[in-house]
Amino acid sequence: MSSDAERLVNLALYLASSPRAVTAEECRAAGLGYADGQSDVAFIRMFERDKDALRAAGLVIEVTSDGSTEAYCLDADATYARPIDLSADELSAMRAVAAAMADDPAFPFHSDLALALGKLVSDVHQGPMATTQADDDTSAGQGLNARALAEAVQMRKTVTFNYTNAAGNERRRTVDPYGVFFREGVWYVAGRDCEADAIRTYAVSRIADLDVNPRSPRTPDFERPDGFDVREHERLPFQFGATAVDVRIRFEPDIAWRAESLARGRGSIDRLSDGSIVWTVAAANITRLASWIVDEGPGLHAVEPEGLVAALSAGLRSVIEAHG
Amino acid sequence: MARHLDSATRARRLLALLPHLHKGDSIPLAELAHAVGCSVEEVAADLTTLTMCGIPPFTPFEMVDLDIDGDVVSVYMDPPGLERPLKLTGAEARALNAALEVAGYASDSPLREKLRTVSSGAVSPEDLEHTVRAGAAPGGAAETYAKLASAIEEREMLRVAYYTGSTGRISERILHPWALVQRMGIWYLVAWCETAGQERVFRLDRMRAIEHTGVFFEPPAEVATAVTPDAGTLQTARIRFRDGALLPDARHWPGVTLQTAPDGVSVADVPFQSLGWIARRVVAYLGLAEVDSPSEVREAVRDLASSLLRQIK
Repeated sequence: MSSDAERLVNLALYLASSPRAVTAEECRAAGLGYADGQSDVAFIRMFERDKDALRAAGLVIEVTSDGSTEAYCLDADATYARPIDLSADELSAMRAVAAAMADDPAFPFHSDLALALGKLVSDVHQGPMATTQADDDTSAGQGLNARALAEAVQMRKTVTFNYTNAAGNERRRTVDPYGVFFREGVWYVAGRDCEADAIRTYAVSRIADLDVNPRSPRTPDFERPDGFDVREHERLPFQFGATAVDVRIRFEPDIAWRAESLARGRGSIDRLSDGSIVWTVAAANITRLASWIVDEGPGLHAVEPEGLVAALSAGLRSVIEAHG
Repeated sequence: MARHLDSATRARRLLALLPHLHKGDSIPLAELAHAVGCSVEEVAADLTTLTMCGIPPFTPFEMVDLDIDGDVVSVYMDPPGLERPLKLTGAEARALNAALEVAGYASDSPLREKLRTVSSGAVSPEDLEHTVRAGAAPGGAAETYAKLASAIEEREMLRVAYYTGSTGRISERILHPWALVQRMGIWYLVAWCETAGQERVFRLDRMRAIEHTGVFFEPPAEVATAVTPDAGTLQTARIRFRDGALLPDARHWPGVTLQTAPDGVSVADVPFQSLGWIARRVVAYLGLAEVDSPSEVREAVRDLASSLLRQIK
């Protein structure tokens, strides 16, 4: 008797090679691996599961009907990829990123990435040397949970998990996950905390005992709000806090080119006639922002509000005093 | 050891192997394993399973016909179907987009636009963009990444204008690019720096300009890819952190060791390579951190804070 995997491959090959649509009964009788003596009900259930598995593998199965019986065939145009023209630089980049991500235990989509690259690049194994330095326990354990959460985001399934906050307190949470994002080696999930009825962000590295609602796996548990964009929840270090004010930071002309990278798409950037850049962005923690300006310097200056300049000056005086 | 996979996942990998099997090919198992993201042992088991697959009437002419000899598979016939690559599934498109985003490719980059044409449409690009974010993708990052990846492959020296954070200066360097290394979402280049006459590590987001030289090099047989310095070889500064300070962790301060005294004061021993780096990190604490030793770090901290204060005035 053939294995389930063999039966699935046989069914895929049968659908792909058949010149016409075939019925479920024809598939059953074709020797693909459906057990003799199986009841009709059990066969139909297995056949439906098999078609779902093949669809998940990328086969587009078209269904036709003569009114009483359904028949199935492969939609070749929708199933097969057309060759794409990738430049040498693009190929090198894709091989490099695949090699590096394969070494990253925090990257949630290893197996999908390998299969994707295998479809697009014939000589994946050759390529530039690239890897990930995963020297940190925080990031190492997140991959599986981040993948499960990304899947729950896509399928719109409610999740529950134990969450340990920065103070070390653990609580069970129930969340409708709307999106996931990665920042400085840590994955986060943003979604509606069902108890608080508000959107919250959780570090995946602090999540344990994650459960995805197993009921009706193909039916969404919730609707994502219109216009939800996970990028709006990816905050900068000084954007955590209850009340935000607009601040202005100047980049000297020599380092104006760094502004776009440091801004990470937040706020607005204005180029001045002397070549410097003024970045206007919301900040909820002025002390943290003053610290950030020093850390990311030299060449960054606090412009407004006065409270930011004062916080920076006071902090610097304090450093001088301590090291005098 | 082979992982246990459910039959649907395993079938997906078996189907992914088919387009790689062409009549007359002899393919190293390692190459196929790499192409579908599994171990050599797993791909050997998959290929063995495939020899039992085919289409009716299942004579030898309708089966997947191959033979494994040692670490090579010989393919005797094209598969009886599905011999062309399939479009990317939703999960594969998500994985590829996330990986490219980590490397700085924004959603509107030409490469990601091209990849949309081979995606199945199971997940809309807009949906992906709004729900999965794996990197910030600042302008120019993808171009830098692609140039470096290509130069590593071609073994071509590059002329790079590089910004050094501790000094704020840009210097021009001739580099032999050896390897790209990602750590915590930040990309580094490990290279031989002709200007410095030694191996160095460079952050990609601090490369201002990159030019091809048309000159090629021979890379060493082995490249060490650690992008954080070996803490054991470095000087150490002892730093005291006051209440309320965000305590240093090894992710941001590689090699740091931290002790908390009974009075609640935390003391860290921090390995450092450059005075400019350690001074800036301490000054950024704005008074919540104080250097105990060595004195040269204390002085560097005081000098930097004084200089920054003068700029404000």
